[in-house]
Amino acid sequence: MATHSNDHLDEAVLMARPEAEIGRLGSRSLVLGGAGVLLALVGFFVSRETFLQSYLVGYIFWLSITLGSLGILMIHHLTGGAWGMVGRRIWEAGTKTLPLMVILFLPIAFNLEGLYAWARPEAAHDPVVQLKVAYLNAPFFYVRAVLFFVIWGGLIYVLNRWSREQDEEPARLIGPKDRRFRLLSGPGLCLLVITVTFMSVDWVMSLDPHFYSTIFGVLMLGGQGLATMAFTILVLSALVRFDPMARVAKPDVFHDLGKLMFAFVMLWAYFNVSQLLIIWSANLPEEIPFYLERLNGPWRWVSTILLLLQFVLPFLFLLSRDLKRNPSAVRWVATVILVMRVVDLVWTIGPVFRHEGSGLHWLDFALVLAIGALWLPLFWRSLAGRPLVPARDPYFKEAMAHVGH
Amino acid sequence: MSHHAAATGPAIHGLMAEFDSAQALLDAATAAQKAGYTRVDAYSPFPIHGLAEAIGFRERLIPKFVFVAGATGGTLAFSFQYWVSAIDYPLNIGGRPYFSWVSFIPVSFELTILFAAFTAVISMLALNGLPQPYHPVFNNPAFARASQDRFFFVIEATDPRFDLDETRAFLNGLNPREVVAVED
Amino acid sequence: MSASEYPKGDPRAPIPVITPGHSFTSITDKLSDMVLTYNTPLAWVITTAIGFCLLMLLIVALAYLVFTGIGIWGNNAPVGWAFDIINFVWWIGIGHAGTLISAILLLFKQDWRTSINRFAEAMTLFAVACALIFPLFHTGRPWLAWYWLLPYPNTMALWPNFRSPLLWDVFAVGTYGSVSAIFWFTGLIPDLATFRDRAVHPVAKRIYGVLSLGWRGSARHWWRYETAYLLLAGLSTPLVLSVHTVVSFDFAVSVLPGWHATIFPPYFVAGAIFAGFAMVLTLAIPLRALYRLHDVITLRHIENMAKVTLVTGLIVVYGYACEAFFGWYSGSEYERFMLKNRIYYGPYAWSYWALLLCNFVVPQILWIKKFRHNLAIVFTVCMFVNVGMWLERFVIIVTSLHRDFLPSSWDMYYPTFWDFATLAGTIGLFLTLMFVFVRVLPMISIFEVRTLLPEAHPKPQHEEGAHR
Repeated sequence: MATHSNDHLDEAVLMARPEAEIGRLGSRSLVLGGAGVLLALVGFFVSRETFLQSYLVGYIFWLSITLGSLGILMIHHLTGGAWGMVGRRIWEAGTKTLPLMVILFLPIAFNLEGLYAWARPEAAHDPVVQLKVAYLNAPFFYVRAVLFFVIWGGLIYVLNRWSREQDEEPARLIGPKDRRFRLLSGPGLCLLVITVTFMSVDWVMSLDPHFYSTIFGVLMLGGQGLATMAFTILVLSALVRFDPMARVAKPDVFHDLGKLMFAFVMLWAYFNVSQLLIIWSANLPEEIPFYLERLNGPWRWVSTILLLLQFVLPFLFLLSRDLKRNPSAVRWVATVILVMRVVDLVWTIGPVFRHEGSGLHWLDFALVLAIGALWLPLFWRSLAGRPLVPARDPYFKEAMAHVGH
Repeated sequence: MSHHAAATGPAIHGLMAEFDSAQALLDAATAAQKAGYTRVDAYSPFPIHGLAEAIGFRERLIPKFVFVAGATGGTLAFSFQYWVSAIDYPLNIGGRPYFSWVSFIPVSFELTILFAAFTAVISMLALNGLPQPYHPVFNNPAFARASQDRFFFVIEATDPRFDLDETRAFLNGLNPREVVAVED
Repeated sequence: MSASEYPKGDPRAPIPVITPGHSFTSITDKLSDMVLTYNTPLAWVITTAIGFCLLMLLIVALAYLVFTGIGIWGNNAPVGWAFDIINFVWWIGIGHAGTLISAILLLFKQDWRTSINRFAEAMTLFAVACALIFPLFHTGRPWLAWYWLLPYPNTMALWPNFRSPLLWDVFAVGTYGSVSAIFWFTGLIPDLATFRDRAVHPVAKRIYGVLSLGWRGSARHWWRYETAYLLLAGLSTPLVLSVHTVVSFDFAVSVLPGWHATIFPPYFVAGAIFAGFAMVLTLAIPLRALYRLHDVITLRHIENMAKVTLVTGLIVVYGYACEAFFGWYSGSEYERFMLKNRIYYGPYAWSYWALLLCNFVVPQILWIKKFRHNLAIVFTVCMFVNVGMWLERFVIIVTSLHRDFLPSSWDMYYPTFWDFATLAGTIGLFLTLMFVFVRVLPMISIFEVRTLLPEAHPKPQHEEGAHR
């Protein structure tokens, strides 16, 4: 007989660490990653230039999940709720990939001239770039990058350490110490928003030093949120097949996460339409080339695919309540969204370099897989290293009390 | 009381039981469903989770209407703007193309919402049969508290299992404050 | 049940959304007796009288405007949009919190919304009404306005221009006003039925009876009602965001430095929510004291609204920062001039710094919980925000316009008496409508507050059996 008491939230079961199951999931992602590494190596020798562009795409893609995890983790600390308790370990594991992202930044840092027009010697003759030289110069670029990593790293280190301390203490009443997550997360989110905004300017927008759009940082933040929600749902739909996730990741939780992903899909469309409408209507020579490039020629088809698969399809699909509650259905939407996140980044970065021929390049995807081959094992290992559910968080039971089935 | 009296007296809408709590109402509805009554209704001063299911009511029409209306509104608005700007009176405005699809997004969006929202409310009212100037349940003066703090359960006279005495006995078995026959 | 608990008497424990000890009867009595009584509080009479006097001023100002012309305002070339659009955007912004509180908090299952959503929605409607006065009368001859605002071909068979953001505005504000109205009315129906059943005066009973449409609270009614209400909430949330987005397009799709910025849509939306929540608090704090609503509008509500105000305020400040940084980063001569003119060497630089004081510096004290629980401080902060958001529109509109591309067109803008009279008049209209509403309709959703009581959630029988 099914009882409705809290037996299924027994702490010993929830604190179990299903390392074997997670290991199996990890090895599956390695196969794809391995293929990516091979292809990337081929690409490296075929075209150094395209390799570098695709490398930036792959780097920004995985970084967006690292930083998106940090952002959503802090939002969860501020708001509480069952969806956050269930997703928390996934985000914590996601943030712990930051050291890898620091190392992977080095190829970009050592190839500024290959990527950024303002770093090339010709830029000295470009009057527009000269006006911005106080900001767009290599030393300041490096200083800012170091600052970003220090801020992100500091937040990630502290949040993860406190979380581990919580696991090691026995369950107890809510005490004064439990406010510290919230106290840090408020200012932490402010810092994250500021740093990601400047990161998006430095690492992506300044690829074309003439272009500027005030909403660019917001687009990057929204994209990170969307990628992270899709990634979370994808991972969770795999973890839900065994204990302890099977006990806590109920359809109600998937419903909430699905709604959040739906919200991010709509925000993505909203930010993009805003930018498009404003730039398209004003038709100013500083800005309009951005869209002339992307709405014509080979990129037109990429734009259409993005519209259909990053917005229309997920939108119609996620309107349905039943589909949001079904892990094996919603994970397909999440997969499409993740692939489209890559396409969106290529759409943003690619046209700066590739004016002729096809828009998407196979190397873009190869490098996403190749960097994933490094990122994902780290993620799975961090995930397996901690209990999958924060059952010792004093707010845990309160949050889970409202979860039906 | 006999069948005879019921046949000669005024026509009856049904038997109405008055309860003190939401729990009692939900239990009554569940019990009536188990006893095989199908034409029943439950009245409460606020929505109660699970009560509609307990009287065997389930309907998923409104979301479908709303979806269709929204799609219609959006399509209509977009094609209307196209027709106006590119076919009926093409006019060069600031060198923009006649078919300025980017500019047509806001109005199309607003009309999607407008159509969908009005459909949600209108279909809710229409399916509920509102506005309705007269309904027999109001013949019971105690029913004024159905919108305040009391809970009412009605087994209608048209129910195939309705029998004035038996149904009254059944309702009395549910510990109501009072059971009243409501005139039609 | 071993749910998470605070130690007994811990001040950090969350304050309940409704003070314990209430029943369905006590809630119904308390919330409907505020209206169904012959006693009118003196404070109500005084405030309504003030509001009514200002409303008379509005009528005089508008009558004089219609008979004389727009020349009585301070608008000039190059500042062709001035007080009228500042006030329009200010009011529309204030009108955002109502529907948003109602809709988005319902979607997020926030139970604290129930005590504040009704009068916040009413506030939305009245603010939209105030807002509409400005563009309508700025047309000069409002009786002809429908001619070029609605999609109807004129005598030359010419249609309105669908590429113009001003036309989008007509559709956005029109949709917003009408959808907010039906959202509000739908929420009112069950409470109108309560009034119908409680009113003593036969005329009042009849009026409430007609308005309640014969609502009888059947389980079928409630099922469809909840479905429709949830759908309305889902539709209203993007609608609210779209309205201020379209308002921001009025500025942003132009090529004017200071207006043309892609950050405008989200930044305007955040500003609107910021202003709206500040106004809800501005109204809620006095009304709570006037009608002794401490049991249903608890410190939890005040604190949560203060938090939303803080967060949206920070987003607005992010918008200012982006505008400033990208203004410089653009490298454009005009953008950089506008920025310098706005921030330090222009004649209106004071307004920019006053704006930063009101919207950035002052709200930061809401980071501290002790201050969020202090009604006087929260109220003061909200007054600063109300002023700050008005200044924001002043900065955007006047400082961007008064320095034209052509220096020979440069000019100063000075509002006239009639500009101020119209602004004060709409405040009077707002106050009058708001207080009349509070007097004749339930300003707190009675049926939703009932659902806050634990006994409103009975357990289905089969599950109860499992417990035994």
